[in-house]
Amino acid sequence: MDDVLDEVVPSEDLQKFEKVYHEQLHQGRVTPKAQFEYAWCLVRSKYAADIRKGILLLKDLFNSHAEGKRDYLFYLAIGNARIKEYNKALHYVKAFLEIEPANQQVLSLERQINKRMEKEGMIGIAQEIAFGLSNERFIWRSLSSVEKAKKGVVCLV
Amino acid sequence: MSRCDFKIVLLGSEHVGKTSLVIRFVNCRFNASTPYQNTIGAAFCAKAMCVNGKTFNIGIWDTAGSERYEAMTRMYYRGAHAAIICYDPASLPSWARLRHWLQELRTVEEDCKVYLCGTKKDLMDSGAAARDVPEDIVGTYSQGLHGHYLTSSKTGENVDELFQKIVEDCAADIKVMKNIEEQRVQLQKEEDEKRKVYCYC
Ligand SMILES: Nc1nc2c(ncn2[C@@H]2O[C@H](COP(=O)(O)OP(=O)(O)OP(=O)(O)O)[C@@H](O)[C@H]2O)c(=O)[nH]1
Ligand SMILES: [Mg+2]
Repeated sequence: MDDVLDEVVPSEDLQKFEKVYHEQLHQGRVTPKAQFEYAWCLVRSKYAADIRKGILLLKDLFNSHAEGKRDYLFYLAIGNARIKEYNKALHYVKAFLEIEPANQQVLSLERQINKRMEKEGMIGIAQEIAFGLSNERFIWRSLSSVEKAKKGVVCLV
Repeated sequence: MSRCDFKIVLLGSEHVGKTSLVIRFVNCRFNASTPYQNTIGAAFCAKAMCVNGKTFNIGIWDTAGSERYEAMTRMYYRGAHAAIICYDPASLPSWARLRHWLQELRTVEEDCKVYLCGTKKDLMDSGAAARDVPEDIVGTYSQGLHGHYLTSSKTGENVDELFQKIVEDCAADIKVMKNIEEQRVQLQKEEDEKRKVYCYC
């Protein structure tokens, strides 16, 4: 699905905004706009390292640029959700909702995060079971037929 | 399979009513009591629609109108099959902004079908707002585009008609349909591959 948590930034866009940001950094003055646009691309990257970098830039903006706080909170939530830091993501969602309790975009993001936590929690359990089973099978295979026979099972193979 | 067949993007100045239009279309409601909340970046919505007995999944990107987000908004109309550019007939600045988007789309996304949408028709009809954008100018601009609609998200007037027309136009476009067919085949292939990888019995 192309929703806000799955959307991936095209690499040419990331490069474009990265370039602007680094040019400004080089000149010693980064505007909030350039930093935000770069961070916004980073948190939509498919690489966790990029997302983490984007989160750092957003946190920095959040502390230094009051005007865009709502934007920064929103993308901090998205960035954290994308690297599966769901509790942190929900923390930002909550902070946002304290200011704007009825914001539809944020409420729907909250629902999506909860759905993912639930789904991944379930997959986690399934993986554990599967791992347990394959482990058992592995142990079973590594037993010699004598041992298997000792365990009272007739080995047909 | 949850991939969208058609991608529609909404553009237009802030406060013209893009989000309200999407909510009316997708959820069939309008909430006059919630205060205006300007969209952050862009929001995504999906809805299945039936045309000529075929069902299509349409994905709608509702972009933020504030110029602060302009660089971001650009990324959302890329590859869009259709764009709805909204303006408020009672606001001349919103019309100027519409012309800006129109120009951009013409140069960047030639294949994108463009629809103009004048919003908040109910306010115009009841006399609560006065028209500021001359009708003949709108007429001139909408020539050569795929359509012009006057909608009200409050009453729902013309909202379904607008989206219905878009999906019909897309479904009638051989090039678009060929792409969709290829996409579906590709997706099926990917899913089959995935199944193979996970099945190790
Ligand atoms: N009466 C009336 N009011 C409307 C209609 N459509 C939108 N509004 C009001 O206009 C205001 C702005 O609507 P939005 O849909 O949030 O505007 P937007 O274009 O999404 O704004 P941005 O997200 O900032 O770009 C809200 O207060 C809506 O209630 C309509 O059809 N009739
Ligand atoms: Mg909006």
